[in-house]
Amino acid sequence: MKKILVVDDSASIRHVVSIALRGAGYEVIDACDGKDALNKLNGEKINLIISDVNMPNMDGISFLKEVKKHPRYKFTPVIMLTTEAGRDKMEEGRMAGAKAWVVKPFQPPQMLDAVAKLCLP
Amino acid sequence: MSATTEVQKLFMTETEELLLDMEDALLSLESDTENIELINQLFRAMHTIKGAAGIFNYNAIVDFTHPIETTIDRVRKNELKINSTLIALLLKCKDHTWALVNASVAEDELDLTSLMIQSQNILAEFNLSEPISPALPSCPQPFETQPISPERIDERYTDSGHWLISLDFKVDALRNGLDPLNFIRYLQQLGQVLEVICLSNRLPAFEVCDFESCFLSYRIVFSGDCSKEQIEAVFEFAQDDCDILILPSQKISESFQNLIDELNPSENQRLGEILLTIGAITERELTKSLNLQSGHIPECASKKLGEVLIANQLVDQPVVEQALKKQTQAREQAQTIRVDSNRLGQLINLVGELVTASAAMRVMVDKYHLLDANDQVSSVEHLVQEIRENALQLRMVQIGETFSRFRRVVRDVSNELGKQIELTIQGGESELDKIVVEKINDPLTHLVRNALDHGIELPEQRISKGKSPTGHLMLNAYHDSGHIVIEVTDDGAGLDPERIRRKAESLGVIEANQVLSHAEILRLAFEPGLSTKEKASNLSGRGVGMDVVKRNIEALRGSVELDSELGKGTKVTITLPLTLAIIDGFMVGAANENYVIPLNMVEECVELNQGEWHEQQKNYISLRGELMPFIRLTSFFNISQTNQHKRESLVVVRFGRSKAGIVVDKLFGEQQTVIKPLGKMFQHLKGLSGATILGTGDIALILDIQGLITEVSIGAKKHHHVAMIDD
Repeated sequence: MKKILVVDDSASIRHVVSIALRGAGYEVIDACDGKDALNKLNGEKINLIISDVNMPNMDGISFLKEVKKHPRYKFTPVIMLTTEAGRDKMEEGRMAGAKAWVVKPFQPPQMLDAVAKLCLP
Repeated sequence: MSATTEVQKLFMTETEELLLDMEDALLSLESDTENIELINQLFRAMHTIKGAAGIFNYNAIVDFTHPIETTIDRVRKNELKINSTLIALLLKCKDHTWALVNASVAEDELDLTSLMIQSQNILAEFNLSEPISPALPSCPQPFETQPISPERIDERYTDSGHWLISLDFKVDALRNGLDPLNFIRYLQQLGQVLEVICLSNRLPAFEVCDFESCFLSYRIVFSGDCSKEQIEAVFEFAQDDCDILILPSQKISESFQNLIDELNPSENQRLGEILLTIGAITERELTKSLNLQSGHIPECASKKLGEVLIANQLVDQPVVEQALKKQTQAREQAQTIRVDSNRLGQLINLVGELVTASAAMRVMVDKYHLLDANDQVSSVEHLVQEIRENALQLRMVQIGETFSRFRRVVRDVSNELGKQIELTIQGGESELDKIVVEKINDPLTHLVRNALDHGIELPEQRISKGKSPTGHLMLNAYHDSGHIVIEVTDDGAGLDPERIRRKAESLGVIEANQVLSHAEILRLAFEPGLSTKEKASNLSGRGVGMDVVKRNIEALRGSVELDSELGKGTKVTITLPLTLAIIDGFMVGAANENYVIPLNMVEECVELNQGEWHEQQKNYISLRGELMPFIRLTSFFNISQTNQHKRESLVVVRFGRSKAGIVVDKLFGEQQTVIKPLGKMFQHLKGLSGATILGTGDIALILDIQGLITEVSIGAKKHHHVAMIDD
């Protein structure tokens, strides 16, 4: 089963996204910020990362830079969550290797479609 | 070694037998290399073993036997010659297969691994150009080192509405988390992936290759009921790391052209907007092209958007051309004023009166020798003529619009009937009177539907007759001496003259022994009740047959002719006057009456002396060796000759392909003629199409040349005098 890591400081977003992903046939690990995510990953194989940009402790872009250093996650696709206002961060994220963006607020089907384009269950 | 089950034992026995058969066949082949039955036996052995091994998931056996099967198949197809080397090699394969079977059933991993390495070595001896791995049935991926041009793929899928998607991944694609296979899988959710070709020509040499980089390109043939925009969305996240081209097939490209045709763009709509509306390009493609256009790359900066789009393969050239044409049309429409057609009609009537009035003025000037007024009257006459021409021009419209309405009809009907029909339109810029255009629509629709329904055959029938599966229908219009000629041509089944004849006989239209030429038989199709298809369909043949078409066209002072060859196709030619209101006439006199012949039908006037005249007793005259039927107006209209004219003239008239002579007493010359319709009471009079008021206040009758010619030919054929009139 394909495994997806969901990183967001909002518990409700994590919850909704996780339910949707599990319903579509993915396994989900969730984390509340970059630091938490790195701890939970612990070298485990995953197929896709969904990460918010603005988070306490370690923000999305720093997390991305960090996680991409690990040989295991070098090729792992990343979907970044952003808001309409956060578009200026996109270039920075792009440089760090994030190619897919989903703008908040989004509906679960939208998120599932974006996930499917990069990694079908 | 694990215990062998019953089924596994069965598999082994079966395989052993097959391999023994194979060995026998190979040994016999040594002396009898051409024996196809033996080769078939070899093929069956490998094929069956492969199939059975597949069920047990013995991939080592499948991987080994598949290429051998392919090789034997090539021998079967005569692509490869059987020789002693090949036989030796196949014997080796037979032994190796047995070893693989044993190791697979025993599940001896170690043994199997070493055998698989051997497999590769043995297969390498075949010098196979094909891929070693068996092709997966769901997703064939033949490797080609040469780039595939879209045309080459297109050839194989000419009939389907498919897309060719070209993906050239950039080196960082994998590092950015893109998985090319995932896109192809996702695409399968939208429609059918017909073929995937992986191009590895960018791949560097093994020693210098960076395996974290992506060097692969894909060409995907995709068919699905979705728009270009939807396909583009699949590759949404790959845009930065992949050069994506989505090319429509011929068929989709044509449907774009049809869509543009049906579009009603506003005057200021830009080319990009038109293409975007119909879905030929996507928003992203447009933005990219506009950026290129306004950018600093010199070869793009000065180009028009259409050129940029074509150069980047985003849109096909015909689609751009069609859009530009539509755009020009829209702009032209912007410079026109809409006028109530009644007002125009009124204007034309007034111009008609003006023509008559100015003719009357000329008569007065001549009668009273008002030499002082001569110049003024001449210039008024000249102006009136110009006004007349301009006024008539106002009502002229291009026939193209009427023609293009049929694109839709053709598309709908061909879908409904399961036929493949291509419509070609020519001469759409030919102009004719708006009223004529309106009235021609119904007969034309009828003819087109006839061609689609009865004319053009189903693709299978066409192929069996050696024609291309796609039928062709052509609408053509051109001007010919004051008339407009409209042709509806199809390359369908054509009319069967025998069937028309039988039907006509059974209806009593002709007599059983009547001798008729091919053209005459075809003309019978216009008789009431002669719809040739036995069964009526819901498209045509509802009882309103060709006779109605003919009547409608004749009501417009036009004519219709049929030309058809059985099996080759049918051509219907409609000839119509350009206008219904005012014509240039040629006035003649017979007895004391005046008659007008439309000038554009007059070929020549010949004076015939009396001596020569009386020799022609029949209704034919020989004019410079050409035999031609003629008619004497006085006898046709049954007018008693009060004063015997000694000098009669022959006016030679032509209508379409037929010629005839009209014998008259006097020639008056050219005359602007305002056509006044005859009252309802006189509508059934033969040989007359209207009347006109002369400058003197007298009335001249306008001759219906076409009707006269028909009368003349029939009369002449029956070998009795034409001098009769319905009463």
